[in-house]
This record gives sequence, structure tokens and C-alpha cells, in this order.
Amino acid sequence: MIALRGVSLVYPNGVRALDDINLEIAKGEFVFLVGHSGTGKSSLLRLLYREARSTAGEIVVDGIRVDRLRRNRIAALRRHLGVVFQDFKLLVDKTVWENVAFAMQVTGAHTRDIMRQAPRVLDLVGLSHKSRMYPTELSGGEQQRTAIARALVNNPKILLCDEPTGNLDPANTTEITALLQRINLKGTTVVVATHNQAVVDRMRRRVVRLDDGRITTDEERGYYYLGLGQTQVLSG
Amino acid sequence: MDWGKLKFFLGEVTRNFSRNTGMQMTAIGTVAITIVLLGMFLFVRAALADVGASLLAKIEISAYLSPDATPAQIHAIGRFLAQDPRVESAQFIPKRQGLAELRERTKGTIDTALLTENPLPDKYRIKVRATEQVPSVAAEVRRLTGVANVVYGQQVVQRLLQLGAVLRRIGIVVIAIFFAVAGIIIANTIRLTVFARRREIAIMQLVGATNTYIRLPFICEGLLDGCIGAALAVGLLAVARATLWPRLLEALPWAQLTATPLDARVLAAELLAVGAAIGIVASWIAVGRHLRT
Repeated sequence: MIALRGVSLVYPNGVRALDDINLEIAKGEFVFLVGHSGTGKSSLLRLLYREARSTAGEIVVDGIRVDRLRRNRIAALRRHLGVVFQDFKLLVDKTVWENVAFAMQVTGAHTRDIMRQAPRVLDLVGLSHKSRMYPTELSGGEQQRTAIARALVNNPKILLCDEPTGNLDPANTTEITALLQRINLKGTTVVVATHNQAVVDRMRRRVVRLDDGRITTDEERGYYYLGLGQTQVLSG
Repeated sequence: MDWGKLKFFLGEVTRNFSRNTGMQMTAIGTVAITIVLLGMFLFVRAALADVGASLLAKIEISAYLSPDATPAQIHAIGRFLAQDPRVESAQFIPKRQGLAELRERTKGTIDTALLTENPLPDKYRIKVRATEQVPSVAAEVRRLTGVANVVYGQQVVQRLLQLGAVLRRIGIVVIAIFFAVAGIIIANTIRLTVFARRREIAIMQLVGATNTYIRLPFICEGLLDGCIGAALAVGLLAVARATLWPRLLEALPWAQLTATPLDARVLAAELLAVGAAIGIVASWIAVGRHLRT
């Protein structure tokens, strides 16, 4: 579903964010990207949805050569992906329903499809009863659930989450993690960049560790800290 | 037809348009001024062209022959003129006819009965097809054997041609400046809206909205600025034409202005199209810059 081969990213200011990344993620997998702040987790996700462009290497996302993608094809790529951020990125002047529907409206979806799909995802994230409320009237966890509903409303095959629990308390973190797991069980490939140890250790899923822009370990059922599970060094 | 889609789109355009009312009014006002200037320029140019055409139509070359020109030479001159494609017509006026015409023209002012002999030479009266060619035809005719002198409204022709060119140049420069100003103001207005909506735009891009889709409401906003400005201008011009133009015609009868030098409906449509074009181009550039970054 996702493949990176020899991928590097050097920002215009000369900072080398990623260095010779090789990573394969299969369809339906749940993968944590862990590492300290500034090790390249977010940069790696940004490459996948083409917010940044790699300086070397090959990136394939759902059959699309992202590293070679022309600017006018980026929109098409992003319809295959859902992206969730630490700061939710909700529109505060729109209700929960409108925030979710917005993602469909701006991709030219038919009203009939919006009326069918929006309630479905709001139900999935457990916010049907709050669909008329504004983001400022919701808790952090509810805001993140709204953001996840928006990311899912176009039926993406891949969900990319950049520190989805970074702004949440433990109770809301548990809630969001459970939701991501549910989404994964329905067949969506989920990639989560995080430095929340509790989440990673509780879920025991594949853990890819980044250090200084390089993948240092890749564990099938890993923990946040190295050495607690099976270790397999891919590169570096 | 998906009414929901249309409603959403119109909602976007309305929200954009009502966001910076002050800037929107400035943009519309500038477009209106620009279009009024353009309309006046086109109208005055057409009127001047009419005046020019009627004056120039009267310009002819008189080629006076020397008194000792032989009939063969006179004939040769006639043949030369008949063969020149620039010459529309050439008429030989013998001196007797010339005097008769002079008597007719000056009747009541000069007593030509006092003349003891005919002082006029024979001449050719030449009409040239294009006014710009009058000087060159005149110069060539002057060189022919048997021609003593060539007279035409040199200064009138040259002044008219120069005046027309200068007016056109000044008009084009002034209007170009106003176009640029109007374009910049619209672009800045749109940029303010884009800035106010940057979060929405970022989310649109994130969920896979195409740049064309993102751009469209802003283009419509620019289009509205341009069209409303142009409509105001057309209204102002129509009022001016109905009230001021007839008075000008009355005040300057000698200028031989035509009552309607341009088709008002065609001009109105052209000006509206120009207003719309300024709006579209300016907003396209303004949003394009944002979408590239």
C-alpha cells in the first residue's frame, strides 16, 4: 500500500530531515512511527501526502508514484488519503456536520452522497448527537473525533495521523486510540506518528523508530522503547 | 442539477464577497472609473475620427500647371495620375473653368469683373484615396514636367494626423495606468479574502479539492467586482450621453460631430466584458500566487 525506497528529504535551508528511508507498509496494516521530536516523523508523513517533495528516492502510495507526481495530480492523490493532525485543523465557524460535509463538498461530491456518508462517519466516531455543535463547544477528544470523521468521509484507503493524541488527556487519548483501532479493523491502513509511549505500548502494533532522519528499528509488535520486543534493524 | 452543490458554491461566493466590504467598494469604484475613462476615450475617439474623416474627405490636391506647359505635357500628367493606384480621381480644370469657379465661390465678396485677364493657370484637381498618401502623391506630382506648383491642405492634414496619433497615445497610456491600478486593487481585495480563508483553503487542499475548485469562488468574487464596476460605469456613461452630448453637439456645430458615433449597446457590452476580464485576470493571479506556495 505504501512503499518508500531510498527516500531522502533535504529542506531548502539545508536541513536533512530524512536520509535513505526504506519502508514497506502493507494494506490494512497499523504502523506507529516513533522517535524524538525533530527526527523526521512528520516529514515522512508530509512526503506521503505530498505536502513536501522528496529530494531522492521512490515513493509509492496506493499505486501512485508520489515522488514524480505533477502538481495538478496532488488533489487526486489526497482523495486516497485521510490526514489527521495534533491541532485538529477544524473550521471554527462551521458545525461538526459542516466540517465533515465540507471535505466532501469541496471535492465536488453529490449532495445525495454527502447526506448518506456524513451520518455514517459521525456515527462511527460517536458524534451523531453533537453534529450541530461548533468545535469550540466540544472537548479536545471530540474535536479530534470530528477531524477523524472528516478524514474518513471520502472513504480513504489510508489514514495518516500526525500526533493525533498530542493535545489530549489520557482518557481522550484512550478513546482516540480505540477509534483508530476500530477504523483499522474495517480495513483502512493506519499510520500514526507519535511520541506517546502509553499508546504505543498498549497497542503492541508495528513500530518503526526514526532517529536523526533514519529508520533505526522496525518491530512487528513493538514497544515505544527499543529492547522490549523483537528488534530488526533495517538501515543505519 | 444538484441544488445542494449550487447552494454551497453560491454560499462560498457570497461569504467571500461580503467579507471585506470596504475593499470591495474600493475595487468596484476603481473599475468604474477605469471603465468610464475607457468608454469616454472610445466615444471621443470615434467622434474625432468622424470629424477627421469629414475634414479629410474634403482635402484635395491642386496641381497648378506652368503657363508654358504643352498639351502633350498636360496629357502626360493626366496619364500619370490615371495610372497611379493611390489616386481616386483627377480632373483637369482649364483656367477658364477655374475662374468661373472662383467667381462662384467668391460671389458677393470680391468683384472679379475688375479682372482684365484671367490670372489663373490651368490645374489638375486630384483626390487621393488615403489621407496619409496626400503628401507623397503631392511631392511626386510636383516633380512632373509642366507642373508649376502643388497646393493642398498640408498643415491641416499633418496636424490632424498628428493630433489623432498624440491623443491616441495619451489615451492608451492613461487607460493602461488605470487598468493596472484597478487590477492591483482587485487582486489585493481578493488576497485579503484568501488570507482570511487560508485555513479553509489549507483544509480544501488537504482533502483533495482541485486548485480549480478552490480558485473558482475567488474568481467569481473578482468577476463580481469587475462586472458591478463596469455596470456602474456604463450607467454613468449612458446618463452623460443622454444629458451632456446633445448640449455639446449644440455648442459646437462647426465641429460637425455625428450624433451617435458609436452603437451604444455594442459599447456597453464591450465595456462590461472588459470589466469582467479585469476581475477575472486579477483574481486569477491573486489566488494563483497563494496556491503555488
